[in-house]
Amino acid sequence: MSTQTGPPRPHTVLRDELRPAWSAAVRAEWTKLRTLPSTTWLLAGTVAVTVGTTAIIAAATHTSTGPDAARQDPTKLALTGIDLGQAIIAVLAVLTVCEEYGAGMIRITLTAMPRRTVVLAAKAVNLTGLTLIAGLVAVAGCLMTGRLMLPGAGLGTADGYPLVSLAHTATLRAAAGSVLYLILIALLVLGIATAIRDTAVSVGVVLALLYLPPLLAQAVSDPLRRHLEQIAPMTAGLAVQVTTSSPAQVIAPWAGLGILAMWAAGSLTTAGVLLRIRDA
Amino acid sequence: MNDASIEVSGLRKRFGPTQALDGMTFSVAAGTVTGFVGPNGAGKSTTIRVLLGLDYQDEGHALVCGQRYAALKYPLRRVGALVEAAALQPSRTGRNHLLWLARSQRLPTDRVKEVIDLVGLDSAARRRAGGYSLGMRQRLGIAAAMLGDPEVLILDEPFNGMDPEGIIWIRGFLRSLAARGRAVLVSSHLMGELQGIADQVVVVGRGRVLADATVDELVARAGSDRVLLRSPTPSEAAAVLQRAGARATVTDRGTVIVGGITAQRVVEVLSPAGVAFSEVTAQRASLEDVYLQLTGGATQYRAGTQVQP
Repeated sequence: MSTQTGPPRPHTVLRDELRPAWSAAVRAEWTKLRTLPSTTWLLAGTVAVTVGTTAIIAAATHTSTGPDAARQDPTKLALTGIDLGQAIIAVLAVLTVCEEYGAGMIRITLTAMPRRTVVLAAKAVNLTGLTLIAGLVAVAGCLMTGRLMLPGAGLGTADGYPLVSLAHTATLRAAAGSVLYLILIALLVLGIATAIRDTAVSVGVVLALLYLPPLLAQAVSDPLRRHLEQIAPMTAGLAVQVTTSSPAQVIAPWAGLGILAMWAAGSLTTAGVLLRIRDA
Repeated sequence: MNDASIEVSGLRKRFGPTQALDGMTFSVAAGTVTGFVGPNGAGKSTTIRVLLGLDYQDEGHALVCGQRYAALKYPLRRVGALVEAAALQPSRTGRNHLLWLARSQRLPTDRVKEVIDLVGLDSAARRRAGGYSLGMRQRLGIAAAMLGDPEVLILDEPFNGMDPEGIIWIRGFLRSLAARGRAVLVSSHLMGELQGIADQVVVVGRGRVLADATVDELVARAGSDRVLLRSPTPSEAAAVLQRAGARATVTDRGTVIVGGITAQRVVEVLSPAGVAFSEVTAQRASLEDVYLQLTGGATQYRAGTQVQP
């Protein structure tokens, strides 16, 4: 046959035996993600949808400035785009695994990397990195949009509201928390998709898990409503965006994000176990 | 452990009501090409998936290089595998598919170019894999299997979708690998593809090994009393011959393979029965005949006109 090099040099083999398998897995999964055109589009889409939603909401908001008007939360309003942007990140997370099952390529992946939990961890690491970048850009865009547009919506300094600014501790927490929120949603979805394996079913289940509880909560009364909002991943997690005290707040900001973190941990653990015990 | 490159012993696996593997046992030595043949549903792909740690067996063990596959740290450096050649994400290029595989094994990027040249895919490597023909996917799959220059190769149905030129290429390629000391296990549902390249043939049906022998042994075992019969009514001819005490099997091509009686006797049986025929040829058994004989009772899905030998 034509070109044929020998096996890797002995010193290379020894060096590579000492290096952990997971870092090679992370590089392999990164190479997979960056060589799919859909990855770039979905990340750009996340930023566009998040900032665009915030802009539309800000443009549509007209707060009456009367003395009895309910106090608004400008920071939370500016971060509303996350509600919708998370759906695009969720799709990216679903495709990371389900596209491989759909094509049958998962068998090639697991032949190259037979330690299955390492593969799941490598996917999680890359998804976290990409979501961090998209999340930082999207959140920055939202805050900028809020700062520029909300004064025109009756939420300016003239109306007794501060400009949206990271100099405020609560706003900084809401911003950082929103980025973390997106990352935890991505990990939660990665776990669900790994367990379900099918793209369409996974997307359906994820959207239902995210958006149904807030809708159901509107249909029931306290204390059921309160409990539902305390445990559902979206309502609990988004508590991290609240910067003004409000009777509608059912859970403290970091406690809410903690609930979402438990969802993500439970989802990834279940996925890891299923990935290990099932036939590929 | 002995020093076989692949060792499969007593594998059993059940999928719901189907016993997919029923005591599958064989081994493959270094420097040989072993054909792994059997009808669809015989358990070839399941055995290969168990070997590669993709499916779990209920019983028995499967070892490559004396170890469980999953215990290999950079498995593609020891074992090259072609499973499901069509299983590619369509929007990724062939080159990038090989690139992520190389990264997973800590192999240098140069190696990607080398295996692309090795399989003759250079003109298509930078195109999206979604546009590849099945033959090109097979070449890409073989390139992937060769990335780590492994000592063991496991190829599941590499001839599927290959053009004649590709088939000739693979045959030569597999022989050259064995000549350089590699152990090659190659599965196929067509025995003819393996004739001339396999040193050893493992014939399987219904999840177990029906025969495990060299090509010469297999052909000798079948004897040389094959008679090839062409008739416009093959199933009728087969039925008449069976009533006369012969073994008769209708092949996919509509010919009848007759065993147990001479060509002269075939003519004597058919003529008075009024069965028309255009050719009666006594022939030495081919690997294909042996295969049909062995798997006749083990075929799960048979055509309605086929007659039990």
